[in-house]
Amino acid sequence: MFVKNLFSAIMATTIFSLISALIFLLLDGVDVSLTEAAVGAGISTILFLSTLKHTDVMVKKSKTPSFPLIVLFLLLLGLLSFAVSDLPEFGKFNQTSNSQVSEYYINKSKTEMGVPNVVTSILAGYRGFDTLGEVVVIFIAGISVLGILRKRKSNS
Amino acid sequence: MRHHIIPRIVTKLLIPVILLFGLYIQFHGDFSAGGGFQAGVIFAAGFILYNIIFGLDIGKSILSVNTSKSLMALGVILYLVVGFLGILLGGNFLEYNYLSNTPINGQLLGIFLVELGVGLTVSNVMVLVFYSFNDISEEK
Repeated sequence: MFVKNLFSAIMATTIFSLISALIFLLLDGVDVSLTEAAVGAGISTILFLSTLKHTDVMVKKSKTPSFPLIVLFLLLLGLLSFAVSDLPEFGKFNQTSNSQVSEYYINKSKTEMGVPNVVTSILAGYRGFDTLGEVVVIFIAGISVLGILRKRKSNS
Repeated sequence: MRHHIIPRIVTKLLIPVILLFGLYIQFHGDFSAGGGFQAGVIFAAGFILYNIIFGLDIGKSILSVNTSKSLMALGVILYLVVGFLGILLGGNFLEYNYLSNTPINGQLLGIFLVELGVGLTVSNVMVLVFYSFNDISEEK
């Protein structure tokens, strides 16, 4: 928000994506790191840049936000911070979602699936239905973009 | 970009490596890092790089919009077919155990096909989004 030139903003987002990909790599999340590097630093930069062809490079001066918007924002902020207190403690080892399911996946993935990469066996095997939903979401998103950006008829 | 010789030469050298890396991520995804989604994105990035450097006309002669649309749908259909094959061969939806002679082979085959479907859909959606972004700029 401090950058007025959109080119610099896009480059900053790209660099941020690359750095977070490195952080994921250091945290042993190789799959996430690969995704972040490919999607965040690769494809989204290209799409941002091709969007920039249709818009101005410099940001216009924005109006001061209206009072009801500020109230709505503060209300949402309060609501979300209230909900955070119900979340389990960060990094807690003994909670149910950490102790039962992931242990099962880590122990059984090799014998049940024959796949050494647990991430793949969870994504495509144990949670295959969720991945199906994910693919359908991407498919629908692609169709929507095609519908919105389709070529207009030449007479209009 | 036609007259910039350095990007053209570097791209010519890099594109086979990028595409090969995409295929490696795709088909080796169950033994090392990666999977269909990442592979699709990397493959699409390589192809989009080719389009940027050599022009959309040459790119579209390789992978036309209509082919890309059908491949995008084919990915989802492949995923669903694998899912329903599980039912037909006597299991649950998306249960890969019955796809081959042993459960382990069935799992490997199922994961392979499913990842292939994901990769097809993701890469073609990315390419199509890139195409449609550039089609509106051509009209201007």
